[in-house]
Amino acid sequence: MKLRKTIIAVHRDVGYFFAGLTVIYAVSGIAVNHIEDWNPNYVIRTEPRSLGELSPGDNQLLAAEVLSRMGITEVPESVVRMSPGQLKIFLDQRTLTVSLPAGEVVDERVRRRFAFFEVNYLHLNHGKGFWTWFADAYAVGLALLACTGIFIITGRKGLGGRGRWLLLAGLAIPLVYLVVTVWTG
Amino acid sequence: MRRIAAILLIIGWFAVLPAAADDATKYGEGVTIDEAVPVVKLLSSPDDYLGKKVRVDGVITGVCKKRGCWMQVTDPETGNGVRIKVEDGVIVFPYTAMGKKASAEGVFEAIALTPEQVEARRKAAEAGHEHAEGESCDRAEPKKDGSGEGAGCDAPVQDDRIFMIHGTGAVIYS
Repeated sequence: MKLRKTIIAVHRDVGYFFAGLTVIYAVSGIAVNHIEDWNPNYVIRTEPRSLGELSPGDNQLLAAEVLSRMGITEVPESVVRMSPGQLKIFLDQRTLTVSLPAGEVVDERVRRRFAFFEVNYLHLNHGKGFWTWFADAYAVGLALLACTGIFIITGRKGLGGRGRWLLLAGLAIPLVYLVVTVWTG
Repeated sequence: MRRIAAILLIIGWFAVLPAAADDATKYGEGVTIDEAVPVVKLLSSPDDYLGKKVRVDGVITGVCKKRGCWMQVTDPETGNGVRIKVEDGVIVFPYTAMGKKASAEGVFEAIALTPEQVEARRKAAEAGHEHAEGESCDRAEPKKDGSGEGAGCDAPVQDDRIFMIHGTGAVIYS
């Protein structure tokens, strides 16, 4: 009886502590599962612009002319001549790719996708360091939640009845998937 | 209980604090080699550097949009660039680093293209396309069988090979 009380207490407290992070990881999990279909971290918009022919000049002069014609006052982070016919002007979270001498510009703006960038940053552990340890603790917490969770309910709805079948079904799905796709595939 | 929550918050705050103070961000092992090889030199005599650990400096002119699994470091004076490919998820370059100065290092490698890939790139270049049909610039390396998505699509082909650095670390300056 004392053991059951401990199991329930552990499940309750660990559950409260990691509830927020579980939601964060769940949202990010869905987002990055579909990375082939969308960019879960950034919103990138491109817009073609036509500025008219540009006179030959060095990179800085050309960049100044392009920015002037586009009405941009920001000082570029860098300007790079990628090839004789292409100049790239890098602004803060914005890249102008200029075709020379035609003056055709691809204006690309990028911004972090609201909320998703942050949850993916945590979930995929881009930060390393402290987060590696905290995420390890979270993994241990999840294991604790699973192991204590199956013993909370007793009787027909617990491990002695319905719970047993649900537990086995949950294990069977990944096992069958592995059999079909990996072990015999 | 409130005390425990407060202690956890304080520990978290101090653990995260040092990372926010730097104006240069280190990725992976950072850079350990003092002297950079000019990208133009690397690409003009690649066989001298194959299999060796090298450092390059330049401006970031391309980043893998979705996974951050590669970045292109370009010498701003010559426009010569080399792709730094890293293991997916081990190092993640932010797309917002475009245009920033960076140093990166790793092992310089050559990837042999299949005749189909060479031909596809030649046709794309003739037609003025950014990359060959069916290729995605988001991939850093070509598929070995030559089918489907290619890679390093803007890397110049020399002797049916493209070159990249298998990156071990980088520093991006803000």
